Amino acid sequence: MAAAGLGFSGQLMPALARQRRPAPDFVDPAALRPRPKVRIDAAFLEMPRPYWLGWPGTTYDLDRHQAEYRGRLRESCQRLGIDLYEESAPIQADAGVASLIQGVHQRQPDALLVILQHMGCWGWTERLARDARCPLLIFAPIGTSFTGHVAGISRRPGVHLISSLDWSAVEDGLRMIRAKRMFEESRILWIHGDKRNETVLDRLGAKIRATPRDTFNQLFDTMPVNEEVKDVASALRRRAKKVVEPNWQDCLNAARAYTTAKRLLADEQAHALSMDCLGMVGAKLVPTPPCAAWTLLQDEGITAGCEADLHGATSMMLTSYLLDRPGYMNDPVAETAKNLLIAAHCTSGTRLNGFTKPQAPYILRDHSESSLGVAVQVLWPVDTPISLIRFSNTNELIIDTGRVVSNVDTPPAGGCRTSIEIRMDRVEDARDVLGFHQVVTLGDHRRVVEGFCQLMGIRVVHSPEHSAPATA
Amino acid sequence: MNTILARHSSRGAHSSNPSSTPRSATTLGVRLGLALLLSFGALAEVALHSPGLPPSRMDDQGRLVEDWGAVGIRLTGEGLATDQGVTVTEVKLDGHIPAAQARQRLGSIACALTAFRAPVWPSGLDVLTVAVEETSGHASACTIALDLPANVRVGAKTVLQGGRPILALPATPRVTERTRDWGYRDDAVSLPGWARPEGACDPAFRNIRAGLGGVPIEYRFNVVPGAAFNVVLGFCESHWAQSGQRPVVCRLEGAAPQEIDPIARWGQHQPGAVLFAAKDANGDGCLDLAVLPRAGAPDLNPILNVIWIFPDGPPPALDRVIAGQSTIQALRHVDVGGDKDQSLHSAGLIEYELALPPNGRQELVFLVACPGSSAPRPDQTGWTVETLRRAASEVWRDWR
Repeated sequence: MAAAGLGFSGQLMPALARQRRPAPDFVDPAALRPRPKVRIDAAFLEMPRPYWLGWPGTTYDLDRHQAEYRGRLRESCQRLGIDLYEESAPIQADAGVASLIQGVHQRQPDALLVILQHMGCWGWTERLARDARCPLLIFAPIGTSFTGHVAGISRRPGVHLISSLDWSAVEDGLRMIRAKRMFEESRILWIHGDKRNETVLDRLGAKIRATPRDTFNQLFDTMPVNEEVKDVASALRRRAKKVVEPNWQDCLNAARAYTTAKRLLADEQAHALSMDCLGMVGAKLVPTPPCAAWTLLQDEGITAGCEADLHGATSMMLTSYLLDRPGYMNDPVAETAKNLLIAAHCTSGTRLNGFTKPQAPYILRDHSESSLGVAVQVLWPVDTPISLIRFSNTNELIIDTGRVVSNVDTPPAGGCRTSIEIRMDRVEDARDVLGFHQVVTLGDHRRVVEGFCQLMGIRVVHSPEHSAPATA
Repeated sequence: MNTILARHSSRGAHSSNPSSTPRSATTLGVRLGLALLLSFGALAEVALHSPGLPPSRMDDQGRLVEDWGAVGIRLTGEGLATDQGVTVTEVKLDGHIPAAQARQRLGSIACALTAFRAPVWPSGLDVLTVAVEETSGHASACTIALDLPANVRVGAKTVLQGGRPILALPATPRVTERTRDWGYRDDAVSLPGWARPEGACDPAFRNIRAGLGGVPIEYRFNVVPGAAFNVVLGFCESHWAQSGQRPVVCRLEGAAPQEIDPIARWGQHQPGAVLFAAKDANGDGCLDLAVLPRAGAPDLNPILNVIWIFPDGPPPALDRVIAGQSTIQALRHVDVGGDKDQSLHSAGLIEYELALPPNGRQELVFLVACPGSSAPRPDQTGWTVETLRRAASEVWRDWR
């Protein structure tokens, strides 16, 4: 249990983690990530056999394909922790569709997945979208549709349609349902102001527990320098490509901020946080900004957002829950000489390719605005695609994509420690990029994020492709 | 069917002012005939709250009392028994959601108002369910009317007080649709003095209506069926200085839609106008116009400053229209968002007629702004009655 319990230390120092018993008050970060029950119903839709003319054609081996897709579906569900209910036999008639709908109403799954096996089945999908009363995933393997079949229903809220042979796209659809459930099971600790209350977000269903800002610094003051803190501080330094400003005490404080955050999350039954960190630093309530602690949490799949920006935090949760990778909330800057966008902040996850993937190199710096504590300059891989994601509110999300051009050092630049130049796709002028505190994540995830939003009834917005001329 | 009295008739007895004292049931009964108020025989007052949020209450008359005023229900119907008094009690929904319930029996019809606080981020929302049930085994019908403060405006899907939506209405069609011969029919808000037009122009350019949250601005004018007009819409953008921020789409009946970006066309604070050859194309005796946000625009809150309706024929010179020199020739001049602008709905009365089969039951659900919050427009929220209740249940379950 010791190894399993030391989440962060376990990842960075497996030998140490195996040797040491966790402290009684140790908070396992893995337990802070929501693990909702996710249930999917699945059914094949086909026409009465044998097939004669019409797509997918007489040569299409129905039994072989269905066996293959059943196997893949079971594997995906097992990988994603989804409970699967399968209709045992393919549905071939209206009565079967009615029975399927009735069963879905009784079982109330989180989504219904139908796999089409004939072009004649599209009328049933309309009925299912209307009557199933749950999100509908439609997988139409190539050979079961023309553009006309999918153009309308694929854009309907509450529906995600995959017309492809690429099973990973189906698994993306399952991830969307899992992400939806993870949001619904999440509680965000909103550490700011002096009020304590709890509310729930529209559409996402995540609970927001407002907690007075002093809660954090008061708990931080009592947080001991225990073995976990020393382990974390040590690993933070040792894994760094370079340490510039922070000394050992700074790293201990950063690790204490990390254990403070974990303790607070556990005490409040919360799974993510967003804190008025700048206000806290400005009032000199803590000796270190939480930047490095937030990096550690981000790498463990625990959203830790800056500046009590709630929708910044929900945007980070989206990359975590849907894409299994950290997001990097940032301040957008226009680089007008090169027409690039610079995304800058003093914290970023390092496991950019995924929570189970290797860390990106990073340099330990201080928090540039205050010259306090530990912040990280994560060196993002150059010439790789990224996505910029931002909930304007829970009814609207901005998504754009681009490529990393370079990492920006401070100095010569001012501003935040992690800073990357991005060449935007489909945006003529970087000055026009929408949003603030957008969340950058590695990879082009535009289609998946758009699919999630459609399922959730969230409007998607993109930055304008062309600049409108300014007027006096 | 008895007639529901207009709000002004009953206000003295059933004021929406939470601090007012209700008159006796006898006095009111004389005035209302069989109109029955749920506000008599009250026994208690019950607070509605959610963890950490300021409370509101159901008063001893069965009205929901909020920071903006109160909402009550009046029930009328042919042959309904006289009022037998209302009982207000505290109840727990799902075993742990604090709620208030006002119950009243009107002969064969039992009526219950149940209210609870849904912990909607950021400030909560009160959910008011009105349930009526026929209990005698004979088909019946009744009319439910809302009793609201006088200073509210009834929109298409919401009720607003000033710019604040205070009530979201159920999709059930309303029965009372007394309308004026022209007016707005939307959920937008009036913002007098918002614009700062530069240069000599019609003073109406100073005022606007704004579709906050992306709602369309919609007007209807009664006209001779099939008639055609020259319609001019006036715009003056005083927030944005750069084009591309708030383009709008204008849809006038009988004319091709036009996209207008006031900054691109005329610049900030510059009054401008666009001409449309409009027509009552469907021959229903109404000329409809709408100003909508352009999909994907950075600012999705459409605005409109002025409407002129001129006779069909040679179009007016727009520079003269902008300067206010042609207004006298207009069949209709609307200072949008100004003092003389008006709702199409003349009385603002909200009524629902419910048919009840033998032993049948019907419900209406209203989402009510509570202290510090606004009611959501039904088509701009993912909340449903079920998810609101689940949210309350989960928050109370875990709160400590």
